[in-house]
Amino acid sequence: MKLTINEVAQSLRVPVSTVDRWIRQGRIPIQRTDNGYLVDESTLEKWAKMYKLPFSLPKKASDAKRQTPPDNLLPAMKRGGLLYNIKGDDRETALKNAVDNIHFLSDNIKDAMYQGLLEREHLTSTGVGKGVAIPHPRTPLKDLISNAIIATCFLAVPVDFHAIDGRPVFVMFILLSPSTKSHLHLLSRLSFCIRENAFVDFLKTTPDSTTFFSKIADFENRFAIGDRN
Amino acid sequence: MRILRWWRYPGNWPIFRFDDRLLLILMAVIVGIFSGLSSVVLNRSLLIMSEWLHRYQHFWWFFALPAAGAALSSLFLEKVVREGAGHGVPEVIYSVSRYGGLLRLRSSVTRLVSSCLTIGSGGSAGPEAPVVISGAAIGSNIAKYFSLNDRQRVALVGCGAGGAIASIFNAPIAGMVFAVEVIVGEWKSVNIVPIAIASVAGAEICRLLQGNQIPFGHHVFKIDFLNIVASLGLAVLSAAATILQTRMLRSMHTISHKVPAPMWVRAAIGGCMVGIIGLYLPVVLGEGYHWTEILIEGRYGQILTIVALASFAKIAATALTLGWGGSGGIFAPCLVIGSLVGVTYHHLLVLFWPSISWVNEGYYALLGMAGLISGMLQAPLTGIFLIVEITGGWQVIVPLIIVSVVTTTICHYFEPASYYLKDLVDHGHLLRPGTDERILSDLNVTELLEQDCVTVHPSMLLRDFVDIIKHSHRNYFPVEDEKTGDFLGIVHLDDIRPYLFDPVMYDTVFLGQIMRTQVEVVHPDDDVLDVVRKMDVKGLYSIPVVVNHKYLGLISKATILDQYRKELMVQCHLL
Repeated sequence: MKLTINEVAQSLRVPVSTVDRWIRQGRIPIQRTDNGYLVDESTLEKWAKMYKLPFSLPKKASDAKRQTPPDNLLPAMKRGGLLYNIKGDDRETALKNAVDNIHFLSDNIKDAMYQGLLEREHLTSTGVGKGVAIPHPRTPLKDLISNAIIATCFLAVPVDFHAIDGRPVFVMFILLSPSTKSHLHLLSRLSFCIRENAFVDFLKTTPDSTTFFSKIADFENRFAIGDRN
Repeated sequence: MRILRWWRYPGNWPIFRFDDRLLLILMAVIVGIFSGLSSVVLNRSLLIMSEWLHRYQHFWWFFALPAAGAALSSLFLEKVVREGAGHGVPEVIYSVSRYGGLLRLRSSVTRLVSSCLTIGSGGSAGPEAPVVISGAAIGSNIAKYFSLNDRQRVALVGCGAGGAIASIFNAPIAGMVFAVEVIVGEWKSVNIVPIAIASVAGAEICRLLQGNQIPFGHHVFKIDFLNIVASLGLAVLSAAATILQTRMLRSMHTISHKVPAPMWVRAAIGGCMVGIIGLYLPVVLGEGYHWTEILIEGRYGQILTIVALASFAKIAATALTLGWGGSGGIFAPCLVIGSLVGVTYHHLLVLFWPSISWVNEGYYALLGMAGLISGMLQAPLTGIFLIVEITGGWQVIVPLIIVSVVTTTICHYFEPASYYLKDLVDHGHLLRPGTDERILSDLNVTELLEQDCVTVHPSMLLRDFVDIIKHSHRNYFPVEDEKTGDFLGIVHLDDIRPYLFDPVMYDTVFLGQIMRTQVEVVHPDDDVLDVVRKMDVKGLYSIPVVVNHKYLGLISKATILDQYRKELMVQCHLL
């Protein structure tokens, strides 16, 4: 395979000007001809190995791992779905019932999940105020799920969640994410929504899934505009 | 046309693409032959000139001849070819370390002519440095012609120097050792092999044209333990002579530069003084090969005072010739001084311990020569091999090594840099392979440039700046003028950290108020060595690169370390 001088520079992770100087100084096995360079990949690789230099061919644009942007709120919420009328007198039972009702989790995971959420609650409450809580496990669930999930659970009766403002919680967004990055991304967006009092009031009306998702879609549009600026 | 172009790029021929060492071997032979030829030419013309001038030696005005020769050579160098005076070896060493051995084509002739004028007329200097320059320039230009790269060119410059020394002394090993020890400064097989081949080629050319003769004849000495011990004393004496010679050369140089006269007048004054000394002590005149031979054979036959005086006179004459602007090298004068010092030492030994049977004075003359060469060049191996080869005296190798090593050690204590390297060290130009200075001098600012900093404007509000921080990777934010784009200063994240979480400040503070304006900047053409020094002195981790008031990028210590390591790995691989 023929490499260009730019690819050589990328493979060795040095600037092109350095490769150029190395060729001039005769330090690298590349020959200059009157109309370009003679580069032999295997020779170059052997040379880099002998000199203990890092050498890896640049990935082609097609097979390079595209940096997929983390999931947005809407798909994660659609995946999690809306759960109404979750029973429970205190934080523990409410969480337990909510986890039990999440339909896509198998039973053995459910138990571990519940333990994880509880553990996190014991550190500090996830009640972020205004009657909203965002329970989540402390470590990302890398092996268990491939996409982030937000299950929106409306409680039958508001329960005490030891929230920062002391108000009882009436809605929980159970946030499960495969990576820290997507967790932070979703958490940041979710808290942006909750910061708006109108949204919290809207939540208090226990909306049905269609109106809820269209509301979230509105938020997503606003985020998209913010990103572009 | 095509065949011509093909011919100019031997690096692309299939046979040499396989292994460029073969190419270097072929080139080394060519370079060795040419540099050998140049030294034969100089040698012959010196002989002709000295024979011609010999006729006038008994006239009273003879002292004016060295003056005329030195003045002419200085005029030639200064006005005709516009090259600096001096012996030129430091320039070759500097070119090898800094410019990949690039030398001008005319250098291959100019020094030959100028030194021929100086030495042929009786000036006390050697023809070796000129042939070394000539050979090096030949090597460099052959490499240039065939479009070889810097590494190969450096090897060929070494080949030229080695071939020249090998040819002028008919001493291939000395040529090789000199080129590697003094010129290239790197004991690696990639250099040694071609240089050895060029030295052999140079010596062969000399033998072909002038016959295979050892310059100073072959002598058999019976050496006992006592004579070996006595050589230690000679080492001390020759070290003293070396230091005296070095200091005297330097002081003469300083004095001559204080004389308010053109270069060539100064050279004439120096030459005139040499001529006057020469009237009384003819041993000081010329390159002195003839006198060296007489001294080694023990035929000088003067009393102690005269010999000691002659040693001083030769030292003074050499300093007068070279320090006042004559052209030539230090090699041959060192041989004469060394043999004079050796004979002096022998006389002293006989004077103090007349009952002991000392080996004849030729033995000490040999050792003195080795001592002076090793001390002057700070190159013990060159001294040892040169003397062994030019005298065929393998049986004196043990005392030779003792004298060479002891003299070098003593001289190194008083004069850490050798005669060749002194100027380079003073100007910070000694960049031997594998040293910190060399690595940094090879890197340049553009290679280290990082351009991922986000630039900001002085009229930007802190609120907008906070948004920029969210999307940037760096802690430095260069500030540019909105209209002209000129670099104004820099904002470091540390500067605004206290206000970052205070939304009240967001709409009240402009970046122009918090940016640092007294910023150290560097230019893309600056030496990385200076940049790093600047960072060290000021305790900086990053420094902006600015050209014509425009911000170009940033240099940081992290990138320097990364590049520095790669450069070190590439340059100092032990193969």
